[in-house]
Amino acid sequence: MKTYLGIDVGSVSTNIIALNEASEVLSSKYIRTNGQPMECIKNAMKEIARDLQNLEVAGVGTTGSGRQLAGIITGADIIKNEITAHATAAIHFYPDTRTIFEIGGQDSKIILIKNGMIVDFAMNTVCAAGTGSFLDHQAERLKVPIEQFGELALTSTKDTRIAGRCTVFAESDMIAKQQFGFSKGDIIKGLCEALVRNYINNLGRGKTLTPPYLFQGGVAANVGIIAAFKKELRHEIIIPRYYNVMGAIGAALLAKDYLEKNGYQTRFSGFEITDVNFVPKTFDCNGCPNACEVIEVTREDTVIARWGDKCGKWTNEISYSPPGYLTEAACS
Amino acid sequence: MKLTFPYMGSTIIYQKLLQLLDHEVIMPPRPTQRTINLGVKYSPEFACFPYKVLLGSYIESLELGADTIITSGGHGPCRAGLYSEIHLKTLRNLGYHVDMIVFDDIYHYPKLFLERLRMIKNHKSFLQLIRAIYTSYQLAHAIDSLQKFMEIKQAYELEQGAFAKAFEIMRQKFAKAANTVKDVQCLQREGEMLFSSIPVHEPPESQKVRIGIVGEIYVVIESSINTGIAALLNKLGCEVTRSLYVSEWVDHALPRFIKKSDTAIIKNSKKYMEMGIGGHEIHNIGHMIHYKEQGFDGIVHLMPFACLPELITQSLIPKISIDLDMPILTLAIDEQSGAANTLTRLEAFVDLVRNHKLQKAG
Ligand code: SF4
Ligand code: SF4
Repeated sequence: MKTYLGIDVGSVSTNIIALNEASEVLSSKYIRTNGQPMECIKNAMKEIARDLQNLEVAGVGTTGSGRQLAGIITGADIIKNEITAHATAAIHFYPDTRTIFEIGGQDSKIILIKNGMIVDFAMNTVCAAGTGSFLDHQAERLKVPIEQFGELALTSTKDTRIAGRCTVFAESDMIAKQQFGFSKGDIIKGLCEALVRNYINNLGRGKTLTPPYLFQGGVAANVGIIAAFKKELRHEIIIPRYYNVMGAIGAALLAKDYLEKNGYQTRFSGFEITDVNFVPKTFDCNGCPNACEVIEVTREDTVIARWGDKCGKWTNEISYSPPGYLTEAACS
Repeated sequence: MKLTFPYMGSTIIYQKLLQLLDHEVIMPPRPTQRTINLGVKYSPEFACFPYKVLLGSYIESLELGADTIITSGGHGPCRAGLYSEIHLKTLRNLGYHVDMIVFDDIYHYPKLFLERLRMIKNHKSFLQLIRAIYTSYQLAHAIDSLQKFMEIKQAYELEQGAFAKAFEIMRQKFAKAANTVKDVQCLQREGEMLFSSIPVHEPPESQKVRIGIVGEIYVVIESSINTGIAALLNKLGCEVTRSLYVSEWVDHALPRFIKKSDTAIIKNSKKYMEMGIGGHEIHNIGHMIHYKEQGFDGIVHLMPFACLPELITQSLIPKISIDLDMPILTLAIDEQSGAANTLTRLEAFVDLVRNHKLQKAG
């Protein structure tokens, strides 16, 4: 059976999905990255191979912050940024969508769509106050398992305003409110609303947010946040069925589209790669005061990829460069 | 006197001028993370980003033995005109014995300007001074013209890095051998020939993507702190044109009777901004409109951290983007702008621009 694989390697989770020729999802894996992207990718591939008998991989796409690494190991046909990948999947399932909210563990985005195409986007990568890690952190403080976090928020009927501009302020405000005797439910509801307000103010500034709204990313599992969105927008929001693997689906769709349009064959390296020993390592270059942290991947003692150098000194030494692969600025 | 100067663009232009006047020159090293860290450490937190980079760069030049900094001031764009005073104070507080020769606006302080000229002219005659200035001026134009050529054709180079290598070769030749206007012209022709010989694969017109860059002068010109944005866009297959090059910045500062007029560009911006507010905002808005008229496909707007004029430009961009039917991406540049995130945004933006172009073509 012909399948297309999509791999999304983020700092929090690694997701792999398999699509059939009709672009339907056959299997999907969501795994914590735990700082081990390489192992994670291999394990997820093994699981997919086990799940789906006699599958014939016809194309592979990768995305996420570890897209280059994933692309190199698997021999991906396309390596795409996560904004394009997320939007591609969203438009595939909901062609009429106009606004995509995506909140993951480490970053968050707003993508605006018109006529099935991205017209504008914003991405937050520096401020934790608009991402899933903010929630994880607060859940820990309140000693509430993150899975129950959302439900607890729904138990509150009060309006509790928590200062959510910044995680530090939110924390001290939260503690103060706790001492005042607000229930955990009240505080969690306040936190959810603070996150959503913060997210929309930061990323949506100067943009017109038009429904239909789509909400995806790991945080879309949180019913408290969903409720906060509805309240803030005064409108329904759609949670796609595969909300937490949309990036991977997008990557697979893009690979499929690219190969079909050009009539190319896949460059997929085969499932054998799960038994190959890839060794990633990082070192600090001391060629100049930039002190770049260079990442290097070796396969059976040969260096197959490097990146992270600002001047190209290390990347230019090796001939293999996957599609869409880039180095940073040139430096003299 | 061991002279140094601010690091901005191709530094050999200033180096040449000073060397032609027989000065001992300490070349500022190209800004790196260390430069930025030094600058951030000794600057007020909310100083604009170019201020911090320059401070760090001065410190590095002083470490190499420089004792006098030549810079521009006075009627500069926005706060940049006042940088020198605070830079000098900070550097002296840090214990450096340093002087600054600040060239203020020739119209406001003509006497002071002449006095400063006399200081840097050394033992040379005024005629020789003028010749040196004219040579470096031509040099600036020659290098920029090659750079412009490169930032367009590099998008299509077959061998990655070919243009960058050729440019470096030419840069060294200019530094060594461009001592008269004639040398400059000769080398420019050589450079053009070298560049034209680099194999490229140009796609059909309908698939070319042209991106214009606008923004605050320092981050537009200085590739070491804007994550090499032009080269990045080139690698993504886009032609790039910037709103500002060193030579044009020099043109701005020239006396009015020789200056090339940019009033046509500025006039365009009237619709969005009645008058300038100190930076390059009216030029930038004018350039955005001009890019549209020239058939560009997208615009990248660079905004340094804590830059008021560009923050205001940014607030106008949603409207400008709709009016012009043109995708515009604003990138904030500061000491934390990690290249990986910039790359993700740029890649997504280029996808957007390509699709926009395809759709318009129908
Ligand atoms: S810029 Fe190049 S030489 Fe400098 S530290 Fe980075 S990799 Fe090394
Ligand atoms: S234009 Fe912006 S960066 Fe330049 S001096 Fe003014 S505030 Fe600073």
